[in-house]
Amino acid sequence: MSTMPSGFQRAEPQTPGAFLSRPEYAEVSREVRPAPPRYRNEIGKYSVHRASHCASCGRCVETCRFGVYVRPDGYLHVMRPFDYRCIGFGCKDTGSYCIDACPNGALKLSVNPAAETMGDHRWTPDLLMSTWAMAETGRPPGKHLECEVGGSGGGFDRLRFRFPDSPPPGLRREDISTRLPLNRRGDSRPGITIDVPWYGGGMSFGSTNIRALLGKARVAKAFNGFTCTGEGGYPERFIPYKDHVITQVATGLFGVREETIQRAPIVEFKYAQGAKPGLGGHLLGDKNTPSVAAMRETVQGVSLFSPFPFHSVYSVEDHKKHLDWIAHVNPRALLSAKVSTPVDVDMVAVGIYYAGGHIVHLDGSYGGTGAAPNVAKKNIAMPIEYAIGRVHQFLADEGIRDQVTVIASGGVRTPSDVAKAIALGADGCVIGTAELVALGCIRCTACESGRGCARGIATTDDELLEMVRIDWATQRLVNLYTAWQRMLVDLLYRLGLDSVSALRGRTDLLTHLDYENEP
Amino acid sequence: MNRNGNGRSAVGGRGDVDVRRVQSLLRARAHLRPTEPWSLRSPEAEGGCGVTGFACTIPVGGKHIYEPSIQMRNRGNGKGGGIAACGLVPEELGVSRRMLDEDYILQVALLDPNARGEVEKAFIEPFFDIDHGGLIPTVDDFRDVPLLEVRPPDVARYFVRLKPSVLARFAEEKKLGAAGLSGREVEDEFVFQNSIALNNRFYASLGDKRAFVMSHARNLIILKIVGFAEAAVQYYRMPDMRAHVWIAHQRFPTKGRVWHPGGAHPFIGMNEALVHNGDFANYHSVCEYLAGRNIFPQFLTDTEVSVLLFDLWNRVYRYPVEYIIEALAPTTELDFDRLPSEKQRIYRQIQAAHIHASPDGPWFFIIARSLAETGEFQLMGITDTAMLRPQVFALQEGEVSIGLICSEKQAIDATLASMSSEDPRFTPVADLYWNARGGSYTDGGAFLLTVSPENGHYGMRVTNKFGAAVSTVSDQVRCDLSVPPVAPAQADEDTTAIERCVRDGDSEGFFSHLLERLPAMDFDSFRWFVDRFAGRTAAEAPALGIEALTQCMDRRYSTGEKKRSSLQTILRGGLERIFERQPLCDDERTGTHVRVTWETRDRLRGPRPGETTLLIDARGFSPEGENCDAVLAVKAFHLGWRNLIHYNTRGTRFHGVGLGPATAGLRIDCYDNPGDYLGSGIDGLEIFVHGNAQDQLCQISKQGKLVVYGDVGQTFLYGAKGGEVYVLGNAAGRPMINAVGSPRVVINGTALDFLAESFMAGDPLNGGGFAIVNGLTYDQYGKLHPLELPYPGGNLLSLASGGAIYIRDPHRTLVEEQLNGGVYRTLSSADWRLIRPYLEENERLFGIRIDRDLLTVDGILKSPQAVYRKVMPRGDAAVEEEMEGLGG
Repeated sequence: MSTMPSGFQRAEPQTPGAFLSRPEYAEVSREVRPAPPRYRNEIGKYSVHRASHCASCGRCVETCRFGVYVRPDGYLHVMRPFDYRCIGFGCKDTGSYCIDACPNGALKLSVNPAAETMGDHRWTPDLLMSTWAMAETGRPPGKHLECEVGGSGGGFDRLRFRFPDSPPPGLRREDISTRLPLNRRGDSRPGITIDVPWYGGGMSFGSTNIRALLGKARVAKAFNGFTCTGEGGYPERFIPYKDHVITQVATGLFGVREETIQRAPIVEFKYAQGAKPGLGGHLLGDKNTPSVAAMRETVQGVSLFSPFPFHSVYSVEDHKKHLDWIAHVNPRALLSAKVSTPVDVDMVAVGIYYAGGHIVHLDGSYGGTGAAPNVAKKNIAMPIEYAIGRVHQFLADEGIRDQVTVIASGGVRTPSDVAKAIALGADGCVIGTAELVALGCIRCTACESGRGCARGIATTDDELLEMVRIDWATQRLVNLYTAWQRMLVDLLYRLGLDSVSALRGRTDLLTHLDYENEP
Repeated sequence: MNRNGNGRSAVGGRGDVDVRRVQSLLRARAHLRPTEPWSLRSPEAEGGCGVTGFACTIPVGGKHIYEPSIQMRNRGNGKGGGIAACGLVPEELGVSRRMLDEDYILQVALLDPNARGEVEKAFIEPFFDIDHGGLIPTVDDFRDVPLLEVRPPDVARYFVRLKPSVLARFAEEKKLGAAGLSGREVEDEFVFQNSIALNNRFYASLGDKRAFVMSHARNLIILKIVGFAEAAVQYYRMPDMRAHVWIAHQRFPTKGRVWHPGGAHPFIGMNEALVHNGDFANYHSVCEYLAGRNIFPQFLTDTEVSVLLFDLWNRVYRYPVEYIIEALAPTTELDFDRLPSEKQRIYRQIQAAHIHASPDGPWFFIIARSLAETGEFQLMGITDTAMLRPQVFALQEGEVSIGLICSEKQAIDATLASMSSEDPRFTPVADLYWNARGGSYTDGGAFLLTVSPENGHYGMRVTNKFGAAVSTVSDQVRCDLSVPPVAPAQADEDTTAIERCVRDGDSEGFFSHLLERLPAMDFDSFRWFVDRFAGRTAAEAPALGIEALTQCMDRRYSTGEKKRSSLQTILRGGLERIFERQPLCDDERTGTHVRVTWETRDRLRGPRPGETTLLIDARGFSPEGENCDAVLAVKAFHLGWRNLIHYNTRGTRFHGVGLGPATAGLRIDCYDNPGDYLGSGIDGLEIFVHGNAQDQLCQISKQGKLVVYGDVGQTFLYGAKGGEVYVLGNAAGRPMINAVGSPRVVINGTALDFLAESFMAGDPLNGGGFAIVNGLTYDQYGKLHPLELPYPGGNLLSLASGGAIYIRDPHRTLVEEQLNGGVYRTLSSADWRLIRPYLEENERLFGIRIDRDLLTVDGILKSPQAVYRKVMPRGDAAVEEEMEGLGG
């Protein structure tokens, strides 16, 4: 906390009324500002050890360009190295290499063994750390971090873009559009367009720190995008951001009421989650605190299991009726249906369109926080990269591809993943874990273990909530979105495309490492 | 031996399987095994649908299947529809009675009109004697049929018998005669196999799809198209073609470009046509089971395999219908335990042998059968064990009788309305409506409506899976409404009563006068009385007239020898008279009541001083979307109307929905057939449903009140947060599932299954929610009786963490096996103090009295503790006991 700028320390209004009385709170700037980690010693890829014979000469502060060494004005000693910013051995040739520069030979560089223990094959330590770096700085991370692919050996990690030799003359980065229209039906409902081709996924009040959720809502407002309530009800503190909050109608119907449906510009039906198809949401008893129980109107301390599927929807005509219901309650809302990726996902997508849906949200199996059981995450549903292509093609063959927006989610970790999903045939993406990582998640995947999230993110514990501040969370996400947008524009530029919509379905621009005989 | 197994008990009947017969028949199909790997075939994806069917003791025109089909268009998407007709009239087909009874009616859809010659040369002429044949008539231009976008195929129809020489050769080659099959059975098998071969050549094989067999049954035909079902009737010129049994199907395939109706329902077995709502999770498993018996689906839908299963178990295994139903929808859990041990022994064997073929998933079948050997026709409805699809049965008995099976009750009433407008022997209201309890020991989840010849006429009997009869009472008569009523000679007393009620504004007085006078009244006096009262109040006191007549419709009382359905029709007619006399919203006249119709909807305005109530005539409105009468109601509410009456509803949905939060002070009344999702999300308003309601009522309701003077359908109060609900009749499957907060519900009948599963409604004694189940039913004389079991199902308060159920169970019939995580407790005085006010309101609404009807058991007044039991989650019970130990 000691490195946090004072601006993050303001008292936050706690009620919607208080929010509305302080409009500056509901206004969110897209401006990038440094948002350092919440911990003095963030985990980095490298460790810099400073021996006791350091003479505090300050050469390291002058040499390093990456902010590892800080000597505040008026201080004699250099602060302990912020080695999470260190770019490692590759620094040697940059002229900024502190190890060689130290006249006393007091500095030692090594690989941080702690870093390697983080994450998993999909969310590799590099991806975690590069996301943190983007959230802190609002810029793409340094080259020492692999920020495009993970190490899963499949999925997006085996796909690569094929770039043309040079972008077409006249194409300028500032002209490249990343906007995404969500209503393509041409019906009487509003045409909503978002600024970047992704938005935040649903996390329920009850599963996740309300301050993290508010950060998500605020970045949605800043980027003219969306976040989603998840299925735990609509916290009143979201109301100042209501034009950017999707109300989720999930199988437990927790907290779903007419006013929460009428408030939302988009209503999302959560039929299934790719991480756990065939299972409803579940919130273990320990997280069901008095405030969560009050929001959901349930009994405190009891595990809450949502059914699978909707008890009132066992077929496509039930599904149509279900969408008709919400369309009736809110005549201005767009309708989105979130489904997992079974083998007949193409039929499911067509069914969503014919039932009046605006958004087909395909949720693949690579996603899911620690709360989804591993047996489900790892064994059920079709990989998202297959599902996207299949649905895109099927909708195109039906002649309705341009009347519906296809959103992919489930393991979308990087702007490169977003671009790959779009090249496969999606219009855009929904992200979940990436936002939590930006807030400092280390992917210990123990989200389900009661209230004790080590990083104060997946928790409803009153004390742990204090670990996250709304302004800080907002800024981290604003920075992340900014970096992502910049990287996506750069990628489109290199591909020679003037808009993200021009990328859709361009599988010709992709290659799979298996086809290239590459390991 | 009962060849066709029309639902009589199997025990002591057709029990044993003739192994030699089964083997020889299955072996006879060995050559049908496809050469390519059959397991690679995937089913066509398909969702649910709307299904409907009726069986009648007189043949009726195809146009009567229009109404239910049109009513359920929103259950299909116009990409597949079909009908089957069974029990035909020979003259209308241009054949003799003998030909109709004896011949197979082979109907071939010619997707390629040029295929006809080839089909005849290869599959008809060599084997059959053709008694009659030709293309069936159609309208000249398919575009003249509304909503028909794809030209239906030409259909060639042949009345055929197998040539004796072919029959002999086939029996010999396949060793079927030696296996004891009769000539007719061998002939059936040949027809069946010939159709498979024809389809293999002209449809299922690679390459062009040119022709397929739509049906090949005796006295039963199927026609299906790409379009809505009713268009099949219109296109093939069948509005006036008559049949005893009709079934129809609206399909909702999720595949876009459909150019031919091969995948549409119904599908043919041998002498049965099947339509289906739902889908299977185990299509491949069923296909493997069939493949092991040399049966290979050709149309790749789960409906096709369903009828193939039916035919296999019926014609090859010769199971009685009861066993076929058991194989389709196995009896499980507590229901199995409650079967007699002899049935358990048989059912266990059936399940062991056929469980892999038992369709897994939500499904509801309607089957039309021609029982050609006995000259009977049959309509059958079977629901899956979990009852995941909506289904309603109805019966009207009298000079002519009709039984109906539908996805929605509104479609049943639409059929009856259509029929009664043409033939006064029908009444627009059925005598009985009921649901089946799937896989149960009580009714087996299936009902059979059998039309049998009796002395030159036809009679109908309705039986459940076990052969137990369902019928209306025979000593009640119906009223012929086509004849104008004769004014009674002596009516002074009634006239005085009417005048007194109008003078005093006393609707209760009208009701009590009626109760007193009804036994002595004949239909004429009753009609005169209602008419007179309606005429008297329509202009002067519409509120009184509506209230009084509504009460007479809502309440149950002895109707003597008069059928309640007739009285209901007459009372509803009186109401209509009052409604129609009220000024339209663009009328200069004013009154307390103002009426709006489809034609005048754009001129809807707010209430003027003195105007209290808006009448919404729902005719012409769409079931959903912006032209739905519920949308107009939302508009009316915002214009300031606080009393809304929807009438003439025919399945239009979402009544009371979309009005937003804080709607206390608004009252909505629904007459006739309000549709699904009624009251979902109410937050303060009150809704009164004067009759039965449909599915998904009061989902996520927050607060307010719902009163239903009848039954409610599936997933009632799913995810509800609060509200007070009173139901006179039964709730179907899964009521109150996932409800939280404080919903408080009185169900005077029972629920089928899964009552209050995952209930999370806190502690009822501290503001939480509960349900009271009284387990009562009215007989057809209007007398209240306790049901045999107040709750027959399982999964009572299953996996719940809060809330409670109070069940009237004086004989302690509920057992531990019905629970899953709950416990039974004795009612405490605090419990009784809690529920008593709700029972008092229940008494006020329905006339079910606490002392006389609820606490009196076998004539003796008992204490509430002796009558009611409390069911609560085990966790809560432990806490409660602990508190008691602490003296808390």
